[in-house]
Amino acid sequence: MSFLGKFRNISLREKFIIVVSLVIVSSMLIISGYLTKRQSEIYYQELVNRGQALVANVAYNAELGVILETEGDLNELLKAVARVDDIVYAQILAADGRVLTEIGSDTREGLSLFYMNAEEMPAPDRYTQKRFFDAEDIEYIEIVYPVQTRKQQLSRENLGTVFGFRDDSLAVGYETIGHIRLVVSTADLKKEINRSETASIILTLMVVFSAIIIMTAFVRIITQPIKTLVDITDQISKGDLGKTVSIDRRDEIGLLAESFNRMIESLKMSQQEIEEYNRTLEGKIIERTHELEDAQSQLIQSEKLAGIGQLAAGVAHELNNPLGGILGYAQFTLEKMQKKNIAQLTEKDYESFKKYLRDIESQTRRCKAIVQNLLRFSRSSSKVEFSEININQVLEETLTFVDHQLVMNQIGLVKELDPEMPAIQGNPGQLQQVFTNMIINALHASPAGTQMTITSRYLPPLGEFPGAIEIDFSDQGVGISEENLKKIFEPFFTTKEVGKGTGLGLSVSYGIIKDHGGEIKVKSKVGVGTTFSIIIPLEKRAAAVDKTDVEKQ
Amino acid sequence: MLEASEKAILIVDDEEVMREFLSEVLEDFLVETASDGNEAISKMKHKTYDLIITDMKMPGVSGEEVVQFAKKTCPDSKIIVISGYSSLFSVGNTTRFGISAFLSKPFTIKQIRSEVEKSLTKNKKNNQGESGAGNA
Repeated sequence: MSFLGKFRNISLREKFIIVVSLVIVSSMLIISGYLTKRQSEIYYQELVNRGQALVANVAYNAELGVILETEGDLNELLKAVARVDDIVYAQILAADGRVLTEIGSDTREGLSLFYMNAEEMPAPDRYTQKRFFDAEDIEYIEIVYPVQTRKQQLSRENLGTVFGFRDDSLAVGYETIGHIRLVVSTADLKKEINRSETASIILTLMVVFSAIIIMTAFVRIITQPIKTLVDITDQISKGDLGKTVSIDRRDEIGLLAESFNRMIESLKMSQQEIEEYNRTLEGKIIERTHELEDAQSQLIQSEKLAGIGQLAAGVAHELNNPLGGILGYAQFTLEKMQKKNIAQLTEKDYESFKKYLRDIESQTRRCKAIVQNLLRFSRSSSKVEFSEININQVLEETLTFVDHQLVMNQIGLVKELDPEMPAIQGNPGQLQQVFTNMIINALHASPAGTQMTITSRYLPPLGEFPGAIEIDFSDQGVGISEENLKKIFEPFFTTKEVGKGTGLGLSVSYGIIKDHGGEIKVKSKVGVGTTFSIIIPLEKRAAAVDKTDVEKQ
Repeated sequence: MLEASEKAILIVDDEEVMREFLSEVLEDFLVETASDGNEAISKMKHKTYDLIITDMKMPGVSGEEVVQFAKKTCPDSKIIVISGYSSLFSVGNTTRFGISAFLSKPFTIKQIRSEVEKSLTKNKKNNQGESGAGNA
């Protein structure tokens, strides 16, 4: 596992070299091993054959010497044989086992050359072979061959042939008269084998070495462009698409480089596309955001205008009152002036005119204030400015516009405004919008003859709690089901019939109160009524602001 | 103006300007004023007015209650309702409310004079609610 892990981590070039070297070495070993074995077998067989031939030859030539036991002749014979290198020992034995002559060393350590008993002596015409090893692990082959002579019918007639002529026709059989023992050493053979083994090892190494050189060069040819590719891939991954692969070849690597370049090109193009898209996307997002903001402010505005529509009657009433005074006094003045000419005007008339004009002035101012109040309410909320305001005052101003609707729908109004209300930071126009929404909602839900209660309350600071103001709008209307209660602040949720509500009132109100850092809570029971509570916390510094008495009834 | 200077008129309106204006317009009559419904009712308890001119929307006791009270205690009194709400009453349904006329603010001196004159000279029995006023 760890070897495999290491192998995986080495470079492609090294992998290639290691694998190919292993293949070469193993195939060389197999081939040279087989050849060496085969060769040594052949050598060995040859050695044995030669030994056998020699021993047979000696046996043939030694016939007379053995019969006559001429040691000198036999020794000469053996010496001639011993010229062959492999023969380390030769011996001629008589039939009874006496050593007639010998050459070579028979005292080598570990060798027991004379192990053969008489019983083991070979049968006529048969070789007897034995192998044994000395202490140095050198193999010896011992070959024994009988020395035979022809048995002859010795008679006077053929006596002459005994000395000089051989006449096989007289032969009656063969007789073993002695043995030739030859010991052949395989030391030379072994040396030869060792030499060829060494040669094959050297050859293998040479092949491996030259293979490595060739492979290194070849692998470089292959891996160099791959390395270039890797480098460029690296640069690309770092975002540099300016490079291309310059490999001008027609082989697979060249094709790879070509397709790689194509890839870089398309990558570059898609990157440009993405950048382009991103750029335009940003613009599009800004554009859409603007559109959305516009749409939203239009919605808020239309919700507000819807509210104003509902207020119209109240506004008319508010304006009609001072207008009544203005119209009346203006006519009155005119009337009086038409009745008399200037000379007839008395001091009293003059005083009356002044009073009329003052009243006209003050009533006109009142109209202006009402119109301004309405304008403040309807102004677009794109710029919301906060100022120090008194909630009771804002409530009263709102009520001047909407209480007519309560009268029209025969809803009683109970105001319980806390005179000890601290000033808060807020936008009077926005808060008026919220309050109008609360009152109109209550109105739509309330059957005639029921009562609406508007309560304002100051919740003084306590510990961590910075203090807050709370405004409750309670009605005795139809109530809101639990299911709908979860959805009432969602934009466009409405239970009113089509055209009667935008479904934005409460969600816009919710947003406005959120902007004031406050929250709107609802409690409702179907058939009993609903209470919306608006809670706006005081800022810590605002809590210290003097409480102003704003009860104005 | 008219000869009927002995006629008593009660003007009920929370707007001071309106009270003063009406008082001056109707200076030939015996004019009294009340700034809210409560005051008007207490005045009616002590005196019977020939004509009651009342606003509708007032803090506390509303004009509606003043009308109810007047009709109950002195059914001979004529009633003219003035209001900033032009939609509260429409021409023709004044009879239903048992009032002589409805004037919506702002109205002209001519309108109020003619309505006052009409209601005071009108026979109680055939007091047709037709008013020349209404939609100013």
